[in-house]
Amino acid sequence: MSKVKRPWLKKLSIAILVLIGIGAGIYFYKVLERHPDTKNEKAVFTVNAIDFIREFEKDDKAANKKYAEKIITVNGIVSEMEAADTTVNIKFIDTASGSYAIFAFQERYVAEAKRVKIGDSVSIKGSCSGGVLSEILGTEFITFKRCTLNN
Amino acid sequence: MKKTILFLGLVITTASLFAQKKTTTSATVSFDASTSIDALPKADNKTVIAAIDPQTGLVQFEANVKNFSFANPMMQEHFNGEKWLNSNEFPKFTFKGNIVEPSSVNFTKDGSYKTEVEGLLAVKGKEKKVKVPGTIVVKNGSLAVSANFSIALADYGITGAPIDGGKVAKQPKITVSADFK
Repeated sequence: MSKVKRPWLKKLSIAILVLIGIGAGIYFYKVLERHPDTKNEKAVFTVNAIDFIREFEKDDKAANKKYAEKIITVNGIVSEMEAADTTVNIKFIDTASGSYAIFAFQERYVAEAKRVKIGDSVSIKGSCSGGVLSEILGTEFITFKRCTLNN
Repeated sequence: MKKTILFLGLVITTASLFAQKKTTTSATVSFDASTSIDALPKADNKTVIAAIDPQTGLVQFEANVKNFSFANPMMQEHFNGEKWLNSNEFPKFTFKGNIVEPSSVNFTKDGSYKTEVEGLLAVKGKEKKVKVPGTIVVKNGSLAVSANFSIALADYGITGAPIDGGKVAKQPKITVSADFK
C-alpha cells in the first residue's frame, strides 16, 4: 500500500510551529521586559518647575493629557526633601498656592538623590504620572516615578 | 518660679504640637497580587499623601493611581487600563477613617501602640468600609504609622480572566507606612 503524500500538511504544520514560536517569543519578551533606565530615555518635554505646576493648576485635564505617562525633565529649586521608606523624594513647591511636584527615584539613583539639598538648583527626569487635586491638602499634586538627576 | 513657668510653657508647647494634624506627602503604599503562577503583579507608590490628627484620631490617605510603579511595563499598562483600575477616570485611591479606640495610643509618650483604624476605602469609584490593624510608633515627637491588610478585588468591581485563572491574587496584600515629623 503506497503512502499518500500530503505536501500541504507538512507546510501547514511548519507554519503553525513558526506561529507558536513567534507567539511564545512575544509573550516571554513582554513578561521579561523591564522599564528602560530613565537616564537613557529622551525627555518629551523640558519644563520649569513652577510654570509646570501652574499649568496643572490652570487646567489639570489638559495638562494630564499633555504630560501623563511621558518622560519629562523638570528644572527648579528644591523646596523639600522627604524620606519615603528607605528612599527619598524631592519636591518643588509653588509657594503661592502650596501645589507641588514630587519625584520618586529609580532605586539605582536613590543615593545621588540623597545628596541633594534644599535650595539646590536641579534638573530631574522621570515618568510623569499626572496631577490630581488633593482633598487632604486642598492643592494640586503632580507625581513622578522612576526618576533620575540629569548631569 | 521662673523654672515652673518655663516647664509649664514647654508642656503646653509639646501638647499643642501633638494636638496638631500631621501630614506627609511621602507615605508608601505597596500591594502584592502575585501568585505561584505570576510574580509580576506587585507595585509600590512612594508619593502617597497621608494625614493623622492625634486629637480626633482621624486618619487619611490619598494616592495617585498612576504613580504605582511596576517593574514590568505591560503590567503597568494593564493596571491602569479600563478593565482594571481605569486610572484616567478614577485617578485616586483614598482612605478616610478613625482610630477605633483613641485611648489605645498615647501621642505624648514614646512607645509602640497596636491599634485599629476603621473607615472608607475608595478604589475605582467604589467605597467599602474596612477595619485595618496597624501600629503607631511615637518617638521624640515623630509618628511612624504602619499597617498590613488585604482587600478583595471583587468588592471594588475588579474582576477578569487573570484573577479567575490564578495569575492575579483575589485578595492582594496591602502594606502601608507613613512617617510624620
